[in-house]
Amino acid sequence: MAQPRLITGYLSALSAQLPAPVVAELADGLGETHQHYLRQGLDPDAAARAAVAEFGEPSLVIAGFAAVSPARRAARRLMCTGPLVGACWAAALITGRAWAWPVQPAVVLLAGVVLLASIGLIVSAVAGPGYRSVVRAGLAGCAGVTALDAFLVSAVLLADPAIGWITSLALAASLTRLVFSARCLRWCLADAAFSLR
Amino acid sequence: MRGEELKGHLDAMLLAALEGGPRHGYAVIEALRQSTGGKLDLPTGTIYPALRRLEQAGLITGSWSVVAGRRRRDYELTPAGRQALSGRRADWRDFSAMVTAALEGNPWPSPA
Repeated sequence: MAQPRLITGYLSALSAQLPAPVVAELADGLGETHQHYLRQGLDPDAAARAAVAEFGEPSLVIAGFAAVSPARRAARRLMCTGPLVGACWAAALITGRAWAWPVQPAVVLLAGVVLLASIGLIVSAVAGPGYRSVVRAGLAGCAGVTALDAFLVSAVLLADPAIGWITSLALAASLTRLVFSARCLRWCLADAAFSLR
Repeated sequence: MRGEELKGHLDAMLLAALEGGPRHGYAVIEALRQSTGGKLDLPTGTIYPALRRLEQAGLITGSWSVVAGRRRRDYELTPAGRQALSGRRADWRDFSAMVTAALEGNPWPSPA
């Protein structure tokens, strides 16, 4: 039986944001809800209206899935640990007189841009309502933080051979975060694998 | 009951709805409606993200089947889910007995 236009439109709104298996599951639930109202004697269009009303606004459902996405979980943790790692590095760079290191200004500028972009992406992944935008921002933010940590670790090891305890602390923080970022990536890939099933 | 009041309890209710055996999303919602006498008032679509969260936490596991040409995801409790349900039930009994005692002015536990 062809589905009423209201139901296909509702599912299209979900498809624009959510992975195909999630939409398939929601379509099954919405179909069952529609059948429930048909059995109660409503005509197909009235049953579709009742089913869609019972399901809630598509934006509400999408926001619900965005809230439980691994990308948001990863972004939340990066947001919580970011200030601590940042403080460690600020102290290490100041005490290590980083401005005297032989690093090209363009590289420093690039690192600054990556830092600001990563912060923006992580904030967007934590607060954004769309599922796809949360996944993209979370993954990109995670990649940005990973690149930044790798840059800082290599810059220190190459430019500052006399590593003090503050720099060691910053290195330990970044290395820990690199391990964590790899875990985040695994969560996101597991989610992507689910999405492809 | 409003969604705000259910916060913190929805997960336990979903686990309880799956205690009797595997169910798909809509059947979980129906089971909750029946067990609450129709008082549960949540947008149905918001139950699915909650099921996904429980699956990610390893408390339930999902598997696909095809019914009437539609893909369907069935969920069932994992051993960790059964353990979590048992713990949450015990917590809820203590909590509700305490609140009931406080609101109704009865000593806790209430005399038989």
